[in-house]
Amino acid sequence: MTWLTWRQFRAQAITAVVALAAFAILLGVTGPHLASMYASSGVPGCRATCTDRATSFLGVVTGVYTLVYTLGIAAVVLAPALIGIFWGAPLITREIETGTFRLAWTQTITRGRWLASKLALPGLAAMVVTEGFSLMYSWWAAPITEAARLAPGANFPVGMGPFSLLAFDAHGIVPLGYAAFAFTLGVTTGTFVRRPLPTMAITLAVFAVVQVAMPLGIRPHLFSPVHSTVSVAQRFSGQESVSGDTFTLTPDYIFGQPGAWVLASHAVNAAGQPATVMPAACVGPDSGNSLACLASHGIEVAVTYQPVSRYWAFQWTETAIFLALALALAGLCFWRLSRRLS
Amino acid sequence: MSAVIETQGLGKRYQRKWALSDCTLSIPAGHVVGLVGPNGAGKSTLMNLAVGLLAPTAGTIEVLGRPPAAGAALARVGYLAQDAPVYRALSVADHLKLGARLNPDWDAGLARSRVERLGLDPHQKAGTLSGGQRAQLALTLAAAKRPQLLILDEPVASLDPLARREFLQDLMESTAEHELSVVLSSHLIGDLERVCDYLIVLVGSKVRVTGTVEELLATHHLLTGQRRDPDSLPAGLAVVSASHTDKQTTLLVRTGGQVFDPTWIVSEVTLEDLVLAYMSQAVGQAGRRNHHLEVHQ
Repeated sequence: MTWLTWRQFRAQAITAVVALAAFAILLGVTGPHLASMYASSGVPGCRATCTDRATSFLGVVTGVYTLVYTLGIAAVVLAPALIGIFWGAPLITREIETGTFRLAWTQTITRGRWLASKLALPGLAAMVVTEGFSLMYSWWAAPITEAARLAPGANFPVGMGPFSLLAFDAHGIVPLGYAAFAFTLGVTTGTFVRRPLPTMAITLAVFAVVQVAMPLGIRPHLFSPVHSTVSVAQRFSGQESVSGDTFTLTPDYIFGQPGAWVLASHAVNAAGQPATVMPAACVGPDSGNSLACLASHGIEVAVTYQPVSRYWAFQWTETAIFLALALALAGLCFWRLSRRLS
Repeated sequence: MSAVIETQGLGKRYQRKWALSDCTLSIPAGHVVGLVGPNGAGKSTLMNLAVGLLAPTAGTIEVLGRPPAAGAALARVGYLAQDAPVYRALSVADHLKLGARLNPDWDAGLARSRVERLGLDPHQKAGTLSGGQRAQLALTLAAAKRPQLLILDEPVASLDPLARREFLQDLMESTAEHELSVVLSSHLIGDLERVCDYLIVLVGSKVRVTGTVEELLATHHLLTGQRRDPDSLPAGLAVVSASHTDKQTTLLVRTGGQVFDPTWIVSEVTLEDLVLAYMSQAVGQAGRRNHHLEVHQ
């Protein structure tokens, strides 16, 4: 059975290998220069003015490097979706469409063994390919990731910190979980929808919804966040906006917690109550530095965040969730096929 | 005589529509059985139930003595689905390899020699084969499993007359060589006439007539005579169908013995006449009443 699975999967496998090779060439051509720029930037092993050096390094990473950085994230994030659509969705629906399931399922081996082989080989390939994209990309982007950790306020096109929306999805081990989930989602949806095109469309829609719901609705709550307050007197990096006599303070990062994921923040007064109204002394032309003035009135910023030390706990937990979903979908698929399809 | 397929009140419903209902039949072993019936009689549904591609909604079915469980191993039954599905992108040789990998009892020699004899190019993609060649390839797959029972669903429906003859000729040879029981379906009796030695006419899920071809031909007669009411026939004759012209009445009757009534001209029936007569009974009571009305006019 493995032979048949491989024979039918061969063309898709070749496409994936070609895509991986093209990606490797793109990264291999641009990577060494990026690494040498980083090596001479003074950031590696820096003891002082690290943030400034990192910021200036990120300042010279422009043009083709910004493009490759963005393309790379897109490739790693889109790979599972493409696998779900082009490997998962047609797996059973193509057999139904062409009637070949009547040939495949009336041989001596059981339908269960047929499905096991069909899920195992392309499923593992999906995980390997996606993780391959992710590993190559992480290697290439390591200088940018490291600099971004040191200079969180620096301006860079997409996803900077380890927890930022796209960067979290593209690094570590989560791509593996996404790939397994997207693939089984495509296969199992096919056993209900039965036609290839609608199956592909539904697979993409469901996967997109999950990929948006996860970072926005579920990921922040996987571990209960840390609550803390940060001073606005010194080393405050963020946006201060004043309109009339009300103000808001939004920190970019938390000093001493580089890479932390800030979930929520608001200004509080000395009593710990939410503060939005400017103290009278801080309004007017003579008030000077308003941040210093706010600080002198006991204003601080209350932050709710996930420290970067939890990064791998988040990665493992989210990967486990997606692998569990993939297993549940595979189980559903076996159940569907053990009954009947037509 | 043991049965290769035996059903009891078998039914299959799709949502609201019954594709097969209350079907009770027994298909004996050791024959090439033709399952004939109009489109929609439930032939394909019956065959899909027999190979476990469908699960019955009602009743029971046993194939080679046990119920075909959905998704269970199908080692002793070879199945050729309607329109002979094959993998378009796979070559003829790939299909043989597929058969070998998916069936432990695969007869590689049989498969190879069949493909050679049929003149199929092993490197040709199945998608570029003609309809006849595709059916031959699918039959090769089904036969090289070395099954006890071969189930063929409308195997020649999409073939041109020449390909039909070649396919059936080849099927007959394989059957004789390997002592297979074969069940093949068609809505055209002409296709089956030469190969079948046993016939089941299925109309609207119901078995209309069943028996060996020899027995059916011996017990059915065509009577032609002066126009009259078929009810006035002697006992022991069952009218299968009746047709009338202004002066003449033609009856197809079933009887255990000979017809000695001198007022009728007795002639032999062809298998095609016989099957058509039973199939046209599908019109049912309404149709039969029309015959009477015509007669009494």
